[in-house]
Amino acid sequence: MSLVARYLERNGIPTVIMGAAKDIVEWAGVPRFLFSDFPLGNSAGKPHEKDTQQFTLELALKVLESAIGPRTTVQSPLRWNEDGDWKQDYNNLARMPAEEVAKRRAEFDKVKQVALDQRKKAGVA
Amino acid sequence: MTDTANFAPEYDAPIDYMRRTRDYYLALGYDNPYRWAHYVDAPFTPLRKPLNDSTLVLITTAAPYQPDKGDQGPGAAYNAGAKFYSVYSGDSAVDHDTRISHIGYDRKHTTAKDANTWFPLPLMREFAGAGRFKLAKRFHGAPTNRSQRVTLETDAPEILARCRQDQVDAALLVPT
Repeated sequence: MSLVARYLERNGIPTVIMGAAKDIVEWAGVPRFLFSDFPLGNSAGKPHEKDTQQFTLELALKVLESAIGPRTTVQSPLRWNEDGDWKQDYNNLARMPAEEVAKRRAEFDKVKQVALDQRKKAGVA
Repeated sequence: MTDTANFAPEYDAPIDYMRRTRDYYLALGYDNPYRWAHYVDAPFTPLRKPLNDSTLVLITTAAPYQPDKGDQGPGAAYNAGAKFYSVYSGDSAVDHDTRISHIGYDRKHTTAKDANTWFPLPLMREFAGAGRFKLAKRFHGAPTNRSQRVTLETDAPEILARCRQDQVDAALLVPT
């Protein structure tokens, strides 16, 4: 998505990204970025909390309106929860038993094959 | 409120997804790590007119629900079969059933039950109705097929062309 933002921006369309993967978006280098420190899947606010969704959209619009140059990142002040422990879970091997890693390895091999077949069908492999 | 020396725990910072993902896939036996897009510069185009007079477009990585493509949630396992491979567009004036089962979101801490957390089109309609901006007549779906070359050479130009057709002034991109 960062690549699309860069492309639009370079061709005259100002952009703002709403996202939750700070390192990945900033590594690419984008014009404007509203970062929410939430689990991936919640770029636009918390589930079933319309007030946080409105707050997030409004903040993204303000970033769009007010950024003075590229690589502007604003971090939303909203917290997913009190302790932030969820950040230690995502794909974290240190929290994963060996049998879980083995199971995921088997599943991953299957998924890779599906994706490859799809790309071939779509002519982009 | 006053700052004290009672600091937050070290883990309570934005997740280092690139490192975490690299380590994770290495452990899964995948020794050809993904190379994330990386540039030292970034382009910048200022808004040309006030936002309330600008046409704003939504660009999403969510997929339209495809009943024939397996479990797409909420709560579905990663479903590469539900990916899409070319840019799609939808009418901004009506509701759409979009899903994220084709993306590696946080399945432990996200139920994916409320599409408004990844597809803010209904909320954008409300904002536009209140005069905050004008909503472009279509939104666009950007494929996430891991081929950065296809994104750069095919998908991004296609999205730009569709934005121009709709006389878009600015874009809100919401990756998952």
